[in-house]
Amino acid sequence: MKKTIAIVLASLLSFQLAAHSRWVLPSHFTLSSEEGEWIMMDVTASNETFNVDKPMGSDKVMITKPDGSKSRPSSSYRGHRKSVVDFFMDDAGTYKVTNNGEPSYMTRFKLNDKRQRRWISKSDLGQLPKGATDIETRYGLARIESYITMNNPTDNFVTDGRLLELVPVTHPSDIAQEEPATFKLLFNGKAQSGVMVEITREGVRYRNDPQTITLTSNAKGEVSFTPVHAGRYLLIAEHEQKAANQKLADKDAGEVFLSFEVLLN
Amino acid sequence: MKIQWVALLLWSVISLSAKAQTTGKLQLSLKQQTGEYHAPYTAVWIENDRAGSVRSLLLWRDDPKWLKDIRRWWRKVGRKDAALVDAITSATRVAGNHTQTFSLNDDDQKPLAAGRYTLLVEVVREKGGRELIRMPFELDGTDKNYNAKGSTELGKINFSIQHKFN
Repeated sequence: MKKTIAIVLASLLSFQLAAHSRWVLPSHFTLSSEEGEWIMMDVTASNETFNVDKPMGSDKVMITKPDGSKSRPSSSYRGHRKSVVDFFMDDAGTYKVTNNGEPSYMTRFKLNDKRQRRWISKSDLGQLPKGATDIETRYGLARIESYITMNNPTDNFVTDGRLLELVPVTHPSDIAQEEPATFKLLFNGKAQSGVMVEITREGVRYRNDPQTITLTSNAKGEVSFTPVHAGRYLLIAEHEQKAANQKLADKDAGEVFLSFEVLLN
Repeated sequence: MKIQWVALLLWSVISLSAKAQTTGKLQLSLKQQTGEYHAPYTAVWIENDRAGSVRSLLLWRDDPKWLKDIRRWWRKVGRKDAALVDAITSATRVAGNHTQTFSLNDDDQKPLAAGRYTLLVEVVREKGGRELIRMPFELDGTDKNYNAKGSTELGKINFSIQHKFN
């Protein structure tokens, strides 16, 4: 009985993470170099961790260099299942890669029992077709990010205080098998408890049990886990709450998709 | 037991007056391999009982691009201090037996305090495997002899500690 409840609960939790998973996946998370190195990154949307599926543009890919300056990929290719970008890392330290948009409004509704959505706030609900029901407007932002470290790591963890953000507590270049790793989640710049986090190791296609780890942030906004296996992982965090501005949205919502590697020990 | 304590006390006193020399002798064998062979990248270092590196002992390498593949060593030691890495670097060695002796000092050349440590030997070979051997040891003022055996990249490893009182 307990087991059944656990399974039902688990499926409810995963149902809430409804949109497609997205990620940036660098060719290398860790580099040693005296002269700089090229890296490439995959940009895609897929529900199968690190197996590509849907096309996704790389126009918004931004690289924050160790000195805090922003940079863009030097070239890109858009394919039917992923985009690929190129970037030369010239300085030692930790780089943050993001493929974030800006926060935006999205209204979901039902029309003749079919789910639809429009990119409008509550102030434009008049644009919805007649007979729309189950209307809900969200003000949301998805952050798609990863960290790459060449030589000595630096703390390149600047936040902007908008919706959901992830701040590494364990440095991303220092996550190793059989050692605890901790991440902190902020909502509107403050530590947020109760954030749902799912962490999945690559290679789900070749095992029956996805072995997804499900966590909820504590009072300090932190989640911790001790990875058993080295490999590449995707972390998905999601949180929503009553919108601060009820005139424009019903809910404020944020998602974070973090790709990281767990090193061999 | 009593003798050990006396020895430890004696050693501590002598260490303080900087007259004791504690020497480590490491003998390791890099395994003979079949097929395409690239000499392995090899790193040896000492961690304290909190898994922090206290002494870098050796690094046999070629191109710095592949240093990251000596995974634990790169994370714990290599990436943090380029000068330290340079100081202990030499060219890769081929399969066979290799011996190295060194003073059991920390990276600042101060004698290591009595306590528990781990000697780590990490070997990574291009188009080959990786092996990390951990040899826990204790510094308590007495001479020691430790043996370990690798399986894929490393053969027998012997680590002995000798205290000489001048």
